Amino acid sequence: MKLNNKSNRIQVGILMSPALLIFAIFTIIPIIRLFFMSFHEWNLSSMFEQSFIGIKNYKVVFKDNFFWTSFTNTIVYAIVTVPLQMLLGLIVAILIDGIKKMSVTFRILNYLPVITSWVIASLVFKYIFNTEGLLNYFISNILNIGNNNIHWLDNRWSGLWVIMFLGTWKGIGWNMVVFFAALQQVPKELYEASSLDGCKTIRTFFSITLPSIKPTILFAWVMLTIGAFNVYTSVKLMTNGAPAHKTETLLTWMYYKAFSTGEFGYSAALSFVMAFSLALIAVFQFKIISKKEN
Amino acid sequence: MKNKKLLSFLMIIMIASLSLTAQGSKDVSSNTDEIEINFWHHYSGESAENKTLTNVLIPEFEKENPNIKINAVSHEWSELHDKILISSSSKNLPDVARCDIAWLPEFQAMDILVPLDTEMSDFNTVSSSLLDSAMSTAFINNHYYGLALNTNSKIMYYNTQMLKDAGVVVPTTMNEWEKAVKKISGKNSKGQKIWGWNEPGLSAWNICPFIWSYGGAITNEEQTKASGYINSPESIKAVETFVSLYKEGALTGFNSGDIPMTDGFGTNRYAMMLEGPWKMAELKGAYPDLDYGTALIPAGDGGAISVLGGEDIAMFKGPHQDAAWKFMKFMTGEFAEEEMAKCGQLPVNKKALETDTVKNSDFAPYIEAIKTAKARPTVASSSKIDNELMVAMHEVLSGEKTVKEAMDDLAIKIDALL
Repeated sequence: MKLNNKSNRIQVGILMSPALLIFAIFTIIPIIRLFFMSFHEWNLSSMFEQSFIGIKNYKVVFKDNFFWTSFTNTIVYAIVTVPLQMLLGLIVAILIDGIKKMSVTFRILNYLPVITSWVIASLVFKYIFNTEGLLNYFISNILNIGNNNIHWLDNRWSGLWVIMFLGTWKGIGWNMVVFFAALQQVPKELYEASSLDGCKTIRTFFSITLPSIKPTILFAWVMLTIGAFNVYTSVKLMTNGAPAHKTETLLTWMYYKAFSTGEFGYSAALSFVMAFSLALIAVFQFKIISKKEN
Repeated sequence: MKNKKLLSFLMIIMIASLSLTAQGSKDVSSNTDEIEINFWHHYSGESAENKTLTNVLIPEFEKENPNIKINAVSHEWSELHDKILISSSSKNLPDVARCDIAWLPEFQAMDILVPLDTEMSDFNTVSSSLLDSAMSTAFINNHYYGLALNTNSKIMYYNTQMLKDAGVVVPTTMNEWEKAVKKISGKNSKGQKIWGWNEPGLSAWNICPFIWSYGGAITNEEQTKASGYINSPESIKAVETFVSLYKEGALTGFNSGDIPMTDGFGTNRYAMMLEGPWKMAELKGAYPDLDYGTALIPAGDGGAISVLGGEDIAMFKGPHQDAAWKFMKFMTGEFAEEEMAKCGQLPVNKKALETDTVKNSDFAPYIEAIKTAKARPTVASSSKIDNELMVAMHEVLSGEKTVKEAMDDLAIKIDALL
């Protein structure tokens, strides 16, 4: 359908309007309102009448030690889980691509964690890593190592490692599917040519497979980074920020400040700080992508 | 092309008719004289309280008031607080809610509650039928913003078998308690670790009974100052005892990785704990064969002081205040209070307290505990104070600060919040 035809334009406009309206009501307007909130004194005692306070909320955010803890935790989560799930997903995809039998079975098995609910997976992980949980039972009662159970979920870094472990485990399947699809697109002739030239497997992987699926790698990288910044359910259910807010991530901290202490102005400012950081990272990622493509 | 035009025309008709029907159905309901009162509460979904509410109380109220319909919505305890905060920003509040007494100062500061003593002509008659101590929880800035609905406190639960195995008697003083907790802790016959005391959190609800019983305090009586109270020698001694028991492995429960309270107590891993009246029903359901007993919190230099809990029923600013008031009076009346007492809710209605149901129940130790129990700070910043206390406790437990340092810093922080 050509859009330079007037009646076509009207028709497209009418057909798109319900979706655009919903998008505006539920996305655009709240974002504008949130931006407005972030410059106002908006807390429990000023729920209905707010005064403009400029960038004070932003200043408070940057001076808050808990913000920096949650920000660092989120960055660490992204730096660890994103490359790890991509690497493991790619390895699984290559292994499955290489087998003739049972390929579908393995694909399903690896994809199961992805379709498992975050809530259930988090609760199962909590059960495993509890101080009196399955892993400690295995370590102290079966392997008989050490007398005291390890407090996996009760320290900042060990708690974060469990959260990152869950994030990685749940992400491998998605990466496998994406990379598997990309591997199928690599022309078979290239592999034939390289084998005729006497290339070893490793050389083939780095010279043919990897360059051919580069766009997919970059796509996964960007998507997973955004996903990593959105980590919430697993933290909320496994540690809920404990001990003393040391395992909070940006979203759990934002939720806590808004809905447990009623500091909506603070949370609004925090959400823009988070969006801005994510935008910066995305710009950086796209720079790399466009450089590589050139 | 023609087909496409026809298709888009049909779609527009469909959308338009859908919105018309939606409008239509709304009109039907508003045409009747029935008033719908939204009641939010935190009686958990499957609990006996919720069944009594939906099967006994609401039908009875609706029979008495045929033009009022009650729409009761159950929330999780922690979720309800957050939900009210969220809904207030969109001005979509319930008419009536059952609120933890700790939330009321916060909601009052938000200006979303109705001051009942000025708005309701028969307020004095109603409030005089309820316990004064419980009503005091709704008194904020010289006005009453709710009616007391039920009260509670915490008493000590002990696992009879575990105490017997360790050869200790039920502690009645804090000195005995400290020794008993240490003596019980260690390993059981299966080689599993066991603890003398369980404390499921580090907020004021958990720590205050110790501070008060050791003779300390959070703030002064007027709730204007914490320096000299939370960091007084008595308060510090209470926290030091608590922390040293934790470090010796005799006390646990507040870490995310710990065994949940009821399970730990029911499976003979935690020997003692402080808990509210709801725990009896919970243990009966989950561990019916468990042999346990109850006693007052052990007395220290400050006496045997537990923490006052409970719920108020509050009215939010909305269009149906008369109907909401009728429902609140019904819920705090003798009939409803007695029915709820059957499910473990400690009544505040003076007449309900005199009924046989209450007199013959397991409530006796709680009624005793309430006589000396104290309320946590009733200020708008109470949840922030709670958070600061929790952070300070963690700083001590992890060894970042000594008890003295942490309590001195905490006093300055609470002073700023008051």
